[in-house]
Amino acid sequence: MTHRSPLLTLAAVAIFFAAMLTADFLVHPSAGSATAGAPSTTPPSPTSPSPISSASPAATPTQPASTPATSRPITSPAASATKRAYQDQFPHKVVYAGRSEDGHLAIAVAVLGDRAAAYICDGRSREAWLRGTVDGDSLRLTSRQGYRLTAELDDGRLEGEVRGDGRHWKFEIRPAEKPAGLYRAKGSTTTVGWIRLADGSVVGVATGADGTSEAAPPLGSDDEAQVDGQTVQATPVNGDDEI
Amino acid sequence: MATAESAATPPTAQPTRIGPVLVAMSIGAVVSIGLGLFGRLHHPTGVAINLAGFSSGLAVKTWLTTAAFLFAIVQLVTGMAIFGRIPLKGAWLGPVHRWSGRVAVLLVTPVAVHCLYALGFADFSTRALIHSILGCLFFGAFVCKMLVLTRDDAPGWVLPVLGGLVFSLLAALFATAAVWFFVYRGFTF
Repeated sequence: MTHRSPLLTLAAVAIFFAAMLTADFLVHPSAGSATAGAPSTTPPSPTSPSPISSASPAATPTQPASTPATSRPITSPAASATKRAYQDQFPHKVVYAGRSEDGHLAIAVAVLGDRAAAYICDGRSREAWLRGTVDGDSLRLTSRQGYRLTAELDDGRLEGEVRGDGRHWKFEIRPAEKPAGLYRAKGSTTTVGWIRLADGSVVGVATGADGTSEAAPPLGSDDEAQVDGQTVQATPVNGDDEI
Repeated sequence: MATAESAATPPTAQPTRIGPVLVAMSIGAVVSIGLGLFGRLHHPTGVAINLAGFSSGLAVKTWLTTAAFLFAIVQLVTGMAIFGRIPLKGAWLGPVHRWSGRVAVLLVTPVAVHCLYALGFADFSTRALIHSILGCLFFGAFVCKMLVLTRDDAPGWVLPVLGGLVFSLLAALFATAAVWFFVYRGFTF
């Protein structure tokens, strides 16, 4: 004698599972903003199929995911970039710096080998240090507070988006030539991050031991700054730094 | 229909067979490996469908998992009672065990889909790697248990072992994700 109710349970779970997954595949480009309440114009930049995934039958459903996205004009650059994306490679050591498209955030991403570190800040109170890895021509980084940065190489530029705190920012930033780049300094209790942009301007945020953030102290041309009442030397951040 | 009740009377004169259990385990293993492969090969999107009203997708998942874990504790208690390990009796044990299990798995399914679709099989830290492996194992173990439940001729030790395995996996998943979230992000919604 057999019982059928566990099979029904199993079938119900399988159907529910499949339905959720299908919905994700169909709606995904705008779905993430359902909780964020942000406008749903997110390009699925990290979803361009990699040679590995397209070779596997399990990953073939990724194709439909990009289909609805092609109707969005915003994604066409990413789509056209897919062809040469395979040839794009990160330099062994590089730092990208720039601003988000809306100008709200300064963003710096440092890559060393297959490790990546990033810093985002608005120069007033919002900041996050992110860590992650390089996967071919794309990056994925996360911060402790839940910020996520995904990006991929597009003709030498880094194109992607930052999500977190219920918002998201898109960016396209270029390699930074020194003295532009990402800097960090630690005082007795305060940690400061600065992004020096290509035009020489500096954006930074300082966070104290109690977790409150404020605009960073000025970063001198000698990379020195006053932190916690002392003069400290800011150091360039590398992709493999423990931040 | 009476799954839990039938399990409550394992010592029947019926001879037991391990073959169907092995088949169920094989199917469960295939499910686990399949989920792992999908998570590994599908390029994570970072975003997926979510419920409104929470601060982030992670918060939704944290609370769904927490709720599922509470139901899983009900599962553990009723399961142990069904096998006479704790002195609880009553016709309600079976239905409560079944429905708490269904609710629990219903709660974690969207979490798992979000994990697989948005985050993928992750190995950027030991916690993420363990969580990814356990997540795949959980659904394999669940499938295996559901399949074994359909048989009366499984050896008596199989169901408690599988039930304990499913519960332990869920508890570990809860610890490596939801508890981690509460510790780092605070008790937020």
